[in-house]
Amino acid sequence: MKLRDEKTPWVERDTLVEASPEEVWEALTDEDRLEEWLAPDVELDPTEGGEIAVRDGDDERAGTVETVEENERFAFTWSRPGEDESFVEFTIEALPGGSRVTVVETPMNSPATNAAAPTAMAAGGWNSRLARLHHAVRFAPVA
Amino acid sequence: MRAPAHRHVDAVFDALADPTRRRVVETLARGGTVTASGLAAQLPITRQAVAKHLSALRGAELVSASRIGRETHYKLRPQPLDEAAHWIQMVSAEWDDRLEALRRSLEKRGSRSQ
Repeated sequence: MKLRDEKTPWVERDTLVEASPEEVWEALTDEDRLEEWLAPDVELDPTEGGEIAVRDGDDERAGTVETVEENERFAFTWSRPGEDESFVEFTIEALPGGSRVTVVETPMNSPATNAAAPTAMAAGGWNSRLARLHHAVRFAPVA
Repeated sequence: MRAPAHRHVDAVFDALADPTRRRVVETLARGGTVTASGLAAQLPITRQAVAKHLSALRGAELVSASRIGRETHYKLRPQPLDEAAHWIQMVSAEWDDRLEALRRSLEKRGSRSQ
């Protein structure tokens, strides 16, 4: 999977939970469990190449499962009808007394391979890029 | 809450994916209104390369151009940057909400089994 190296993530977020990686895995990959937190209506075939559909009222996304590494990594693409896909990847890290769950969402719209760009994660994502540019713009002299 | 369609900000993200182009934006931010030659003098790239980057930035409406005499002057348009930052904030907030719901769901189960 080289998708992550081609584009910079929109976001990377994580949370600490008092649950084992096995428990987190079930919450991420069982459609009934997903309906407890992701959206009210989730259909998922948790195998690589399987389909995922996520509905919350009239907001609807569908995609394909890309990575299934039990208790460690789960990834899929998703998109709203007519919109470009993004790539969503969860990683689970065992910690004493719990787990860290990290999610990264990366746009997949165009094959913007950019040899000069460092790997997506090292760049800190769009949040830090935009923060830097915003800073530059905010302190710009009045033209 | 639903985030706006990301296609509107795609052009901005694509234009800013190139590190040299981000330097052009930062230099424009410092310089106010400048010519391509003026920009090239402040950056380690040729005037032709600057012109190419400016063209890409104009395509994403991050830069406006105006002709003054024989020269074209370029200026940063901050609005697309604001929109892109807003998009990222929306996506971040959505994931924060979902991860918080995941955490609650897991810990509710944990306390039930204890």
